[in-house]
Amino acid sequence: MRHLSAELRKLVSLRASLVAAGLCFVAAPAIAALNGNSLRTRLAAGDTSLLDHRAVAEGGFEAVMFAVIAGIVLGVVIMSSEYTANAGDVGGGRQILATLTSVPRRGSLLVAKAGALTLVTVLLSSATIFTGIAVGQALLGQFGRSPWQVVGELGWRLPGAVFYCVCTALIAFAVTTITRSGVVPLIVLIVNGSLVSVSLLLSKVTSWAKFLPDAAGMPLFARGTAFTEQLPPVVGAIVLTAWTVLGLVVGVVTFVRRDA
Amino acid sequence: MHSGTVRPQAGDMIEVSHLVKRHGQKVAVRGVSFTARAGRVTGFLGPNGAGKSSTLRILLGLDSADSGTALIGGKPYRAWRNPLRTVGSLLEGSGAHPSRTARGHLSWVAASNGISRTRVPEVLDLVGLGDIGRKRVGGFSLGMNQRLGLATALLGEPEVLVLDEPVNGLDPHGIRWLREFLRSFAADGRTVLLSSHLMTELASTADDLVVINNGSIVHSGTTAEVSEGHASLEDAFFALTGGEDR
Repeated sequence: MRHLSAELRKLVSLRASLVAAGLCFVAAPAIAALNGNSLRTRLAAGDTSLLDHRAVAEGGFEAVMFAVIAGIVLGVVIMSSEYTANAGDVGGGRQILATLTSVPRRGSLLVAKAGALTLVTVLLSSATIFTGIAVGQALLGQFGRSPWQVVGELGWRLPGAVFYCVCTALIAFAVTTITRSGVVPLIVLIVNGSLVSVSLLLSKVTSWAKFLPDAAGMPLFARGTAFTEQLPPVVGAIVLTAWTVLGLVVGVVTFVRRDA
Repeated sequence: MHSGTVRPQAGDMIEVSHLVKRHGQKVAVRGVSFTARAGRVTGFLGPNGAGKSSTLRILLGLDSADSGTALIGGKPYRAWRNPLRTVGSLLEGSGAHPSRTARGHLSWVAASNGISRTRVPEVLDLVGLGDIGRKRVGGFSLGMNQRLGLATALLGEPEVLVLDEPVNGLDPHGIRWLREFLRSFAADGRTVLLSSHLMTELASTADDLVVINNGSIVHSGTTAEVSEGHASLEDAFFALTGGEDR
């Protein structure tokens, strides 16, 4: 518990955590509001074409993509911050030395980090999804649903979305544990999660692409994605979990064997 | 609950035996053995690149040795459950993340080892950073960073201090304060292992000296024994290290 409490303090006091919170509580509701507003206008004009591939209850649920990116940011910085060097003229020290002299058992340290990351990601993504839906549905005006109706209609896709955020954050953490620097994982994972999905591109070439982590996890919460072939949600959850565990195992083995 | 502290009566608190460390082809530490006794300040003296930091990193569980052992209080550093309550250390400055405040840094360190948070303002005052505890570390000078590193080392009221080049960046006032502090720390029966390449500093602070050159211990004994037969510790040092001045 001591280690978990220390890691929680470290994580939430980083500036990057403010960025993650900003994504979740400013950017995500703003996009949910814009989308809600535009959907309401079109519905009011009698245009229901947008409802062909999404339900009204999904209004605001798109906020989950911001929670995914926030989880990636947290997963990367919880490790990369350990290796951020102070300026050379003030000694060039890195936090990893303070961390490992405080908690020399490396397995315990990574468990504490993964625990802190999971806890913060669960809270942040749940709050983001809830806020997004509340804002999105409110902006739908007379077409909007009450939060309870939305929860009833989305059902298991809500915890599915939180689970996806947590797994993605843990994979980002595992990758950064191996690379130590956060720059490459941050760029690759965020671009892959928002702009250009490598899995989506690969899915045009091979049907095996559906087993990649993001492609496998999407069916846990998303409908009508660009993927032509997807795993059933339960299988997807198992495959995503397997990727996460594999990443963490490789991360732990690398970290335990390596000099600080 | 496992206790995090030891109070030895006397004897060797730090025991390094036959330590070897290779970095690729280069051998950084070649069979280093020495001890540091309770109640004394032990100086670890050697030119830059002699193997001081490599030895201390292994002693503190940061790096693994290729062979040999390094024990504090009879066990490897990694075996201590709340190590900061027994061993305080300083390597490469404070290690505080630049975006954190001094207090923020000390708070998580304290939390990780079950150290009371009341120690945070106490150690900040002790090292002279009481007024700037809420400043971000990114704006600190080298001297302030070293002081924060010392505050971190002292947080758990340890029995043993392991300090790598602690006077780097300290002003003359800070150097004098540190010397007196370490003398009184050892006078309480506690252990100090202090590395430096500054001979005058060690001559005035250390009771015992361990001299390392090229990864090997070239001499060890009391400060007086090491400089015996030489005009000064500096002359003794250059005689022992073959006159290399790197």
